[in-house]
Amino acid sequence: MSAPATAVRPSVLDRVLRDYQSVAEGLPGDALAQAARARAAAQLTALGWPSARDEQWRYANLRAFERLGGYRPASGTAEDAAAALKALRQDTALPAPVPGFERLIYVDGIHVDGTQRLQGDAGERTAGWDWPAEQRLGLLCDMFASDSARLRVRGEAAIEILFITSERAAGAAVYPRLQLQLEPGSHLKLIERHLGAAAALVACNVTIELARAAVLTHYRLQQYGRDTLFADTLGARLADQARYTHRSVAVGAGTARTSARVQLAGRGAALAWQAIAVGRGEQVHDTTLKVEHNAPDTSTEELFRGIADERARIAFSGHIHIDTSAPGSQARQSLRGLIEGAGAEIDLRPRLEILTDEVRAAHGATTGRLDEDLLFYMLARGIDRQTARALLKWAFLSDVLREIDLPGLRAEAERLAAGQLQDVQAIGALS
Amino acid sequence: MSTPSAAPPMLEVRDLHVRVGGQTVLTGVSLAVRAGEVHAIMGPNGSGKSTLAYVLAGRPGYEIISGSASFEGRDLLALAPEERARAGLFLGFQYPVEIPGVNNAYLLKTALNAARRERGLTELDAFEFLALVRSKTRLMHIDESFLGRGVNEGFSGGEKKRNEILQMLVLEPKLALLDETDSGLDIDALKVVANGVNSLRSAERCIVLVTHYQRLLDHVVPDFVHVLARGRIVRSGDRTLALELERRGYDWLSEQAAA
Repeated sequence: MSAPATAVRPSVLDRVLRDYQSVAEGLPGDALAQAARARAAAQLTALGWPSARDEQWRYANLRAFERLGGYRPASGTAEDAAAALKALRQDTALPAPVPGFERLIYVDGIHVDGTQRLQGDAGERTAGWDWPAEQRLGLLCDMFASDSARLRVRGEAAIEILFITSERAAGAAVYPRLQLQLEPGSHLKLIERHLGAAAALVACNVTIELARAAVLTHYRLQQYGRDTLFADTLGARLADQARYTHRSVAVGAGTARTSARVQLAGRGAALAWQAIAVGRGEQVHDTTLKVEHNAPDTSTEELFRGIADERARIAFSGHIHIDTSAPGSQARQSLRGLIEGAGAEIDLRPRLEILTDEVRAAHGATTGRLDEDLLFYMLARGIDRQTARALLKWAFLSDVLREIDLPGLRAEAERLAAGQLQDVQAIGALS
Repeated sequence: MSTPSAAPPMLEVRDLHVRVGGQTVLTGVSLAVRAGEVHAIMGPNGSGKSTLAYVLAGRPGYEIISGSASFEGRDLLALAPEERARAGLFLGFQYPVEIPGVNNAYLLKTALNAARRERGLTELDAFEFLALVRSKTRLMHIDESFLGRGVNEGFSGGEKKRNEILQMLVLEPKLALLDETDSGLDIDALKVVANGVNSLRSAERCIVLVTHYQRLLDHVVPDFVHVLARGRIVRSGDRTLALELERRGYDWLSEQAAA
């Protein structure tokens, strides 16, 4: 008989640092880039690994990180990634292209297809972003990423980026990275999709800089398999009159944590954040979004809709800070959760922090089950209970889904959402 | 007009007692409605009019203490609300709900096809449905663009009521139960609604109007008028009863009911 296991498992942070030490020398990039990696490692060490006792990490399912195989990037060359892509193409596993969009493909964090001029050097720009404590998982990508989708946009552009994990990533980690810089007055429509079924950590960093009057519409679909642990960190900084519209649909990953921070740094900068999360089974989706109004006449429109079925847990923390330097600002926040499963949980935390006068702000957060009055109305029209429930769940998501103004992509988003909801087919009932 | 008939009632309510939230709201309602008839149920606020309509339509939250209700010989109270609707009962809501995100036309088509399946008819395709619903929208003075909007989303009070009648016209129920469909309507809208209701009058179906005021009855002339007070029908008569109520108010009847 074996003795009871008494060996103490090394802490998550120890394992991260150990894996980093073992691969650091082999990671691409010049001395500057390597220094940036080392700095990220030092920062993470200083901050420590997040704890569920910390309000910002309470719903993040940090236990999933303890169970991970490792933090080493999926070992692979560009050739390996290209071979994986070829296999995907043969399986026709790639989503249909969106008309008018230029497509870039990254497999296991490595660029394999699409315009070369958009490819950038790893590490070059990481120094520009400081991840605060509530975004500290962004440091993982800064430490380990070996490639980056780096886009500098002038004029108008429409780009689709696919971040795909292949089976080769199983047991390892993938570090997709997207660095966007929009020049003054430029317009970018960007589709960012995350897909793949590998049992892996995907730690993704997205940084966005919008110069004066730049306009970004950013569509994100996250559809990883249930064995994926998705740690997603997003930072955006908006100059005068810049507009950032974020429309995301998250249905995948066993555990997904999005840590986002948007700085409205210039006068008249505007953010519209519209997000859907639909979870079932044991899925955990946790998002924290901090919006900082640091200049006059800035605005935020925040919409979140979450549905938790079975034993899924969905959390959304929306913190809007309106600084003394931001008079004339406005903020609207509407967070709604729908609990479908008996063991499901939804936690919505709206927070408006206003330090100046002359601000128009409104927020609402509600969580509940399907409205019985609405249900009865439909039943009283002879619609069967199953269809009525499906329609109401669908309706719940509609104010975000109908904002997706690219028909093909919206159909895809609807299909993904419907796939997460019992009884709901893509029923085309949206008004 | 009605004539005394040996035909069994389409809707028959017998000595119905109903409790809501611990309070007995219906205290022995009996009512028989035959095909071809229009009945008006009047009464002061809180007399149980809406409760009666909801109970017959199957809204949850009502406890049947005793009594029965049958529809074409079937035990109505044993059916789920959607089964009642498919059997031909239609409830026009006093306060129609808004369902943003569910397209008005989609709801209507789904409801109609559920009813048609029940009757052994084939489902309508999109074109047939649109042709049908267009003619009804014109009758109800409803702009066709409303069909593409969310159910009652952003509709005015009057538009919601007209939309209820539109749904009724499309679904062609055997029993229409209209709960204060006239409330909140100006005179023009009232006429449109009354027109819609009258267009549905036929020997095969019956209509029960629940109303507080008699003005709707100027336009939809009932065969019978019943007064509900303190949870039961205290008086029945023809349409002259409604005119008398208009003149005298409800108090004299309520006092009688209490006596």
